[in-house]
Amino acid sequence: MFEIDGLKKRFGTEAARPLFEGVSLQLRRGECVAIMGESGVGKSTLLNCMAGLEPADGGSIRLDGTELVGLDDDAFARLRRRSYGFVFQAFHILPHLSVLQNVALPMWLLDEHGIEADRRARAMLERVGLADRAAGWPRELSGGELQRVAIARALVHRPALVLADEPTGNLDPDRAAGVLDLLLEGIRRDGAMGILVTHSRTAASRADRVLRLSAGGLHPEAART
Amino acid sequence: MALRWAWHALLFGLYVALAVPAATAEVGYPPVLPGKVLHFPDDGGAHPQFRTEWWYVTGWLTDGQGVERGFQVTFFRVRPGIAEDNPSRFAPRQLVLAHAALADPSVGRLRHAERSERALDPLAGASTGRTQVWARDWRLEWSGDHYRSRVEADDFAFDLRFDPAAAPVLNGEGGFSQKAGDPKHASYYYSRPQLAVAGSLRVDGATVPVTGRAWLDHEWSSELMPQGARGWDWIGINLDDGGSLMAFRMRDEQGGAMWAAGTLRTAQGETRALRADQVAFTPLRRWRSPRTGAEYAVEWAIDIDGRRLQLRPLMDDQELDSRRSTGAVYWEGAVRLFEAGREIGRGYLEMTGYAERLRM
Amino acid sequence: MSAVLRRIFLASLARRRLATALSLFAIALGVALGLAVQIIHSAALDEFGRGMHLLAGEADLQVIGPREGFDDAEYGRLAIRDEVADASPVLELDVRLPGRDRSLRIFGIDALRVAHVNPALMPLVAEAQRDERDLTVLRPDVLFASPAAQAELGVAPGGRLDVQAGAQVASLRIAGSVPGAGQGRALAVMDIAAAQALFGRLGRITRIDLRLKSGIDIEAARRALAAGLPAGVEVLTPQATEDQSAGLSRAYRVNLTMLAAIALVTGGFLVFSTQFLSVARRRQELAFLRALGLDRRALMRGLLVEGAVVGLAGGLLGIAVGHGVAALAFDVVGGDLGAGYFRGVAPALRFDPQASGAYLLLGVAAGLAGAWLPARDAQRMLPARALKSGDEAHMFRFRARPRIAAGCLGLAFVLCLLPPVGSIPVFGYLAVALILVGAVLVLPMLVRAAAHRWAGSRTVLWQLARARLAAAPGQAVVAGAGVVASVALAVAMAIMVASFRDSVDRWLTAVLPADLYVSAASQGTSGFFAPETLQRIAALPGVSRTMPVRFDTLRLDDRHLPVTLIARPLDGGSRLPLVGATAQVPTDEKPAWVSEAVVDLFAVRPGERLVLPLAGKPVAFRVAGVWRDYARQQGAVAIELDDYRAATGDLVANDVAVFLAEGASFNELAAAVRRLLGESTARIATPGEIRALSLAIFDRTFLVTYVMEAVAVLIGLFGVSTSFAALAIARRKEFGVLRHLGLTRREIGRLITLEGLLTAVAGTALGLVAGTAVALVLIEVVNRQSFHWSMDLHLPGVALLAFALIVIALAAFAARVSGYQAMRDSAVLAVREDW
Repeated sequence: MFEIDGLKKRFGTEAARPLFEGVSLQLRRGECVAIMGESGVGKSTLLNCMAGLEPADGGSIRLDGTELVGLDDDAFARLRRRSYGFVFQAFHILPHLSVLQNVALPMWLLDEHGIEADRRARAMLERVGLADRAAGWPRELSGGELQRVAIARALVHRPALVLADEPTGNLDPDRAAGVLDLLLEGIRRDGAMGILVTHSRTAASRADRVLRLSAGGLHPEAART
Repeated sequence: MALRWAWHALLFGLYVALAVPAATAEVGYPPVLPGKVLHFPDDGGAHPQFRTEWWYVTGWLTDGQGVERGFQVTFFRVRPGIAEDNPSRFAPRQLVLAHAALADPSVGRLRHAERSERALDPLAGASTGRTQVWARDWRLEWSGDHYRSRVEADDFAFDLRFDPAAAPVLNGEGGFSQKAGDPKHASYYYSRPQLAVAGSLRVDGATVPVTGRAWLDHEWSSELMPQGARGWDWIGINLDDGGSLMAFRMRDEQGGAMWAAGTLRTAQGETRALRADQVAFTPLRRWRSPRTGAEYAVEWAIDIDGRRLQLRPLMDDQELDSRRSTGAVYWEGAVRLFEAGREIGRGYLEMTGYAERLRM
Repeated sequence: MSAVLRRIFLASLARRRLATALSLFAIALGVALGLAVQIIHSAALDEFGRGMHLLAGEADLQVIGPREGFDDAEYGRLAIRDEVADASPVLELDVRLPGRDRSLRIFGIDALRVAHVNPALMPLVAEAQRDERDLTVLRPDVLFASPAAQAELGVAPGGRLDVQAGAQVASLRIAGSVPGAGQGRALAVMDIAAAQALFGRLGRITRIDLRLKSGIDIEAARRALAAGLPAGVEVLTPQATEDQSAGLSRAYRVNLTMLAAIALVTGGFLVFSTQFLSVARRRQELAFLRALGLDRRALMRGLLVEGAVVGLAGGLLGIAVGHGVAALAFDVVGGDLGAGYFRGVAPALRFDPQASGAYLLLGVAAGLAGAWLPARDAQRMLPARALKSGDEAHMFRFRARPRIAAGCLGLAFVLCLLPPVGSIPVFGYLAVALILVGAVLVLPMLVRAAAHRWAGSRTVLWQLARARLAAAPGQAVVAGAGVVASVALAVAMAIMVASFRDSVDRWLTAVLPADLYVSAASQGTSGFFAPETLQRIAALPGVSRTMPVRFDTLRLDDRHLPVTLIARPLDGGSRLPLVGATAQVPTDEKPAWVSEAVVDLFAVRPGERLVLPLAGKPVAFRVAGVWRDYARQQGAVAIELDDYRAATGDLVANDVAVFLAEGASFNELAAAVRRLLGESTARIATPGEIRALSLAIFDRTFLVTYVMEAVAVLIGLFGVSTSFAALAIARRKEFGVLRHLGLTRREIGRLITLEGLLTAVAGTALGLVAGTAVALVLIEVVNRQSFHWSMDLHLPGVALLAFALIVIALAAFAARVSGYQAMRDSAVLAVREDW
């Protein structure tokens, strides 16, 4: 269970107008939501606040009942390595690690080395259809493949929450659909929760719910036309 | 010729040294005494015990084109009284200095060169027994019947043979030549006038045969200049008739004559010593040196025992300016002697003590 | 282009101020050091040459013999030769001044001759000192002191100066000056005959200066005049004399110039690493510019101009600093930088436009060379690919080049076997450079191999660091090559200096066996002990044995400087620090032991015949062995005192070593010697004092070397810190991802530190190995060929270990600090930025 209640974020002084406030969200296991909104409305910032990479200025965030607002930097980092998965628009696969190592990285962070980490990483690669590229290097992969590696990396340690920021933004529509399917299918299968920030209606439509972020909060998207 | 006994005072610089009273030497120099009989060729050689000694040749040369020039070459021997007990071969027990000049009317002034050496065999020395004195490749030598002198300088050179016509002329009293009222200021002094010259002269890179007539003086003594003396004027003239005339006077600070003397030898070989009252020098025309500012009488009236003679120079500028080396400045030049408007002889005039005190 | 150049390329320098400043500073240091060494040495050499010119005056030829001189009859013989226009005899003496801790060079001259040949030595009588007949210059008891000598000794005309003559003290009147000697030259002249008599040199002169008549061929005259001279007396042109003397210090000067060059190369390397990283970081920006239509050549030019600008600015700064350093050095250590080559020379600082221009160009060249590889790499990139994120990792891959590395090291080995060029160990220096290049090339291979070995390591940080280093060993090259080079050089110098000092120390022990040393004049020429004095010392109570020593110099040919002759009881060579093979000398032959320099310079070997000119006559010796001599770079020959005395009839001695009898008191004996010889004429020293003094001189000589070494290490560390700073910036994105994945800031800091540590460990380990190799080259090739002395290898193990640990710690610290700075950026920005 991931709950956000009355989250508020402002840039600059107290007097400044908040970027957003009153953001609330409830997410159950196995559920995926998509967040849409105008450019600059703070979608990525909201995601960062959820991940503890930017401090919130009010409200609360609870993961499985634990309050996250107010956690210090290191505690949030430890939480992230255990319970979070990330997928970025620009993939951010580390070029000096092999494909397998990139996927195993979150396991290493959890002090899972050796055979078990390898096995899990390989299994993940199999799930994203890249088992044969495990020993390869990121530079040998195409954009779509890189994002599939990123998805494998985001899911390998069975996180509670997967945050994806425009995961298909750098991909052509054909590949985008496949990649998104992989991500959502993985989240649902592991009983994780997924939050997808995107501009793409097509992408958003695959989520269980679509919410729109505005300065006043998160609200369900108006009926599709 | 006389009074260059104080020459060594000019050695390294200053004329004023002439006026300084003679120092009592730490070494014993033999005195010059009357009555000594000079023997030749022995007394033509060096007398190393005496303080100072010189051999001095002056004369007129004529080349094949009839160009006339004057020349002089002088060798000095000095016993400075230093390092007498140092066995080093470099010990400056005896010094040899040499001066040579050529009076060339086409140049308008003297060409001159000089040598200074400590006596050091085989580079420089003055032999006893006969005239033989040399400083490196410059030399003057008596070889039984003639003298020979060689001088090599940058802008001139000569190699001359001098044949005497007669025996040496002893100046003063049989060679004892007094320089002042006090007889201790005296030298042994003889002259060899009427030397027939033959040899070669290099000037401006061309070597030409020359002939002429010359005069040699040899003088040695142990005393310095008399007190109060400022300089001297001296002449040595070969007379056309075969005779010769030597005369000098010592001047005091005011330019007046302190002492004078001379020797006149007639064509017949009769020698007369002239006393102070028989010799008078009277300046007729003066010339001022553009280099040193010194003023010299370049034409003189000379009264010798009632005869009035006139002296005219080969050229006015025969000043020898060696301020840059030894520091000595004097006039030493070829002159003609006239009597009643007629030339009766040629020789050399020397005038010292006219320049101001000079610094190097 | 100019706007692009200014706004894109040059502006990029301004954006990375720290890195630019550090590489600029490194180049400035290199230029400054090199230029300062150049200025100091050329000023000292000029002054030295001017001094020699001055003393040679207008001489066309100089007749030179041993230090103790030759028969002065040669003067008359040569001076009247037809070729000779003027000749001037000289008796040159190094005269000890009792009660002062110095000696004075006195020239005995003929004042009547000297003006014709070397007017600089013409004495000028002070007005008040003139005697009435102006013969002052010929007087035996007067001395003319040059203005510098008057100032240094605190004497003036009218005053007196005590000089040591034999074991006596003579008081000379200062009668004037030697104006021609110029300012900084302390010397005095006196009459040659007086000098001969006073200093016991009757019949001897040390030099004749000859001016030839115009139109005489100097070389022909030189050969003609040399024929018939006594053995060991040579006719040389002043130029040859000067060249020989200047040649003595050449190797030392080249040595320092090489150290400065290393600083400059390190500066160039720093430009390389910062420029490389900057290009890596700006890869997408540059690709974008290419996409916008900037052509390849313009791109390359722009990047080269960046390097050139850093080089130019560094060069200009270096020129200013170099002159400042030179001025300071003149003040503090003198024109020879404390090595003792130009003692008594006081050069003045002046702006040297030629050297400055050359070093400015070198600075620019270093900047260009540093920018070359990155610029070429950028020029070759494919814009479409480079626009993609992550492409910069390409640049760090670096192909392993084992063959080139092996080739460098192999060639270095071969070069070590080659002889010097003009007494400069050119190939030795090349070998050093090749070893360094080879080591740098080996570094990525070493790092990769080591990374693979660490497979078993546990933590994620180790895993990440290992993966990073294994996959991108280029990073190790960029960051670690500076460490390798500077550690190697520092280690090499440390080993070399330690070996040298250790060898000198042991050598001193070997050459100072006695209990007490009495010196009439330390290597000077004016003091000596007469045979009676020697006997009286030997007869003192408490003396078990005395060993008199006679020093002279011998000219073995006209191409080399004279070698030192040491005649003393040698007990068949057992009293010498022998090295290498010895030869049996038949009893009817005289043995001689030569120093290593004689072996190198004159190509004589044990068992061969050696003819020494003693007292003007050739005397045959047989080389019995080779000994090590750190005191006389131009060579020394040791013979038995008895052989010397038999050949020369010279019974005096310069020094005497005294052995104490059993139970005798050192202090009592020293007091007795002092009573016997007088307080001021002889110096009495213990071996300990001599040794301490020698080692102090040794340390002073190497002071400059130490300073330059420290600078090299400093620049190397600059390299590490700038490289890591730039790397951290280049890897911001990666760190951002890791932060997203749950690494804390501290863990990322530790990761950077760990990578720095691993790089530094690899670099330092390689530096230690390469440094030891370079040290061997320095010891066996460079020193041997430059200075002709060998030394035993001595590894200062603890010091090296401590040094290595410090370097590693500093490198890790530098990596950490610079990485931390880069980490201040938000992880969010880092990942979002999609340059």
